[in-house]
Amino acid sequence: MTDVGFIIAGYGVILGGTALYVGLLLRRLAAARRVSLQIRHEAESAAPAAPDRQA
Amino acid sequence: MGTRVLGIVALLAVVAASVNALFLVPADVYQGDAQRIMYVHVPSAWLGYLSFGVTALAGIGYLWKRDLRLDAIAVSGAEIGVMFTAFAIWGGMMWGKPVWGVFWQWEDPRLTTTALLLALYLGYLLFRRLTDDPHRRAARAAVVGIVAAVDIPIVHFSVEWWRGLHQGPTFGSPDKLLHPAAPVLFVIALVGMVVAFTLAWVWLMIRRYGLARIEWQIEEHGRLGRISAARRAARTAVAPADGAPEGA
Amino acid sequence: MTGLRADAAVALEIARKDARAELRGRQIAGSTLFFATLVLLLFGFALGPDARRLADAAPGLLWLAIVFGSLLTVARLHQLEAEDGALEELARYPIGRHAIYLGKLLAGFAAILVLGGVLLPVVGILYGIDLAPAWPALAATLVLGAIGLSAVGTFYAGVTVRMQAREVMLPLLMLPVVAPLLLATVKATSAALAGNPLGDLGAWQQLLLVFDVVMVTAGAVSYGHLLEE
Repeated sequence: MTDVGFIIAGYGVILGGTALYVGLLLRRLAAARRVSLQIRHEAESAAPAAPDRQA
Repeated sequence: MGTRVLGIVALLAVVAASVNALFLVPADVYQGDAQRIMYVHVPSAWLGYLSFGVTALAGIGYLWKRDLRLDAIAVSGAEIGVMFTAFAIWGGMMWGKPVWGVFWQWEDPRLTTTALLLALYLGYLLFRRLTDDPHRRAARAAVVGIVAAVDIPIVHFSVEWWRGLHQGPTFGSPDKLLHPAAPVLFVIALVGMVVAFTLAWVWLMIRRYGLARIEWQIEEHGRLGRISAARRAARTAVAPADGAPEGA
Repeated sequence: MTGLRADAAVALEIARKDARAELRGRQIAGSTLFFATLVLLLFGFALGPDARRLADAAPGLLWLAIVFGSLLTVARLHQLEAEDGALEELARYPIGRHAIYLGKLLAGFAAILVLGGVLLPVVGILYGIDLAPAWPALAATLVLGAIGLSAVGTFYAGVTVRMQAREVMLPLLMLPVVAPLLLATVKATSAALAGNPLGDLGAWQQLLLVFDVVMVTAGAVSYGHLLEE
């Protein structure tokens, strides 16, 4: 095989970069889901006492 | 569930198509093994254009329907499109150095057009990041995306002329792969890679869209939280006898 | 028909008001001119002292300076309105949104025309070029370029006017879009200066015309969505 360096650089960056993006995307998704779940829990636990918590 | 299956299928397809393109298909007679880079360069470029097309259409749809789900599609297209466009440029450069002798060929209209495309949509993403209100962001991003899309054909023509009016034709055009005289094995390898990449693209779009939806909910919650916090602060300011002051 | 005439009247009125404000705040307009001239001077330092090289690069340098200057110009024209909420005030009137856009475009066009009119002789003097024989073609190119720059610039200034980071965002969004305009104006200017040896002057001016028509239309149609809030 000729030009091995260029082929490795080409495939490495494109396939590796896509894999990296997938990993980051899944992490962002997991983090966002965690926050959204937490919000829902807070909303549920706070719901009965919602009108005025300080009273 | 379906998305997970799609993800696994796409992963297997990309691996299989890559092994085929790297090791099974014979090397090109003139360009040698460097031509194998075309098998990832061409699908990247195709997905970049497809993504930006989706972004422009979703933007038009948003201005028409005012539905934030369409805006979520638009941002997914822009982000994924920027990634694939960058890959296309990278792949083109890695192919260009061994075949043309230079990384950057100013006379190739596609390369220069693609570089501007990348700049246009990087600006689009940055612009989105710096705007707060979701509806305002969606509307403005939509018009920015549409003007960017309108600009692309003009850029392409101008660069095409630029070359055409000032020097001879370029040598070693990347189009060779799709030429009718190209060997069947080459065509199969390229089509296989395009299909595999497009499957992966669909999976990415679905996941990125899901992320945009959840992020929107969180953002909305944050805004409501700030409003109610401001209200509470106003209430305690009116009745300071209540004791503990509200923080942040 | 009457609607069209009313829109034209509104656009003219807005442009006239901007021109008045511009003339009153002379030092700001003057500083844009000064900035663009300075850019030309610095290009001279960067590429000189070889006179031949400077003369070859002159069309590109001239248009880069005009593009940079027009960035400042369109940003300032929108800033005037945004600071006292006049843009919202304008949007509340029962007039076509595109008339507001066209008015702003006209004001920007005039300002960029002045900028180019000043920079052209400066380039002639600094880089040692004889402009006199080519002036009709140069003037036509300047007019076409100024329309396109103002069309794109006014649109993006409207997009970014509310943003905190507008000083950065405006060039980031505008520069890639005006790339074909830069290319065409530079080519047309070089062709004009060389006496149109390849006969490509007309083709570049046509490309500019297409760019202008497309961008003015796109801006006028979409500008309304920017004021809706």
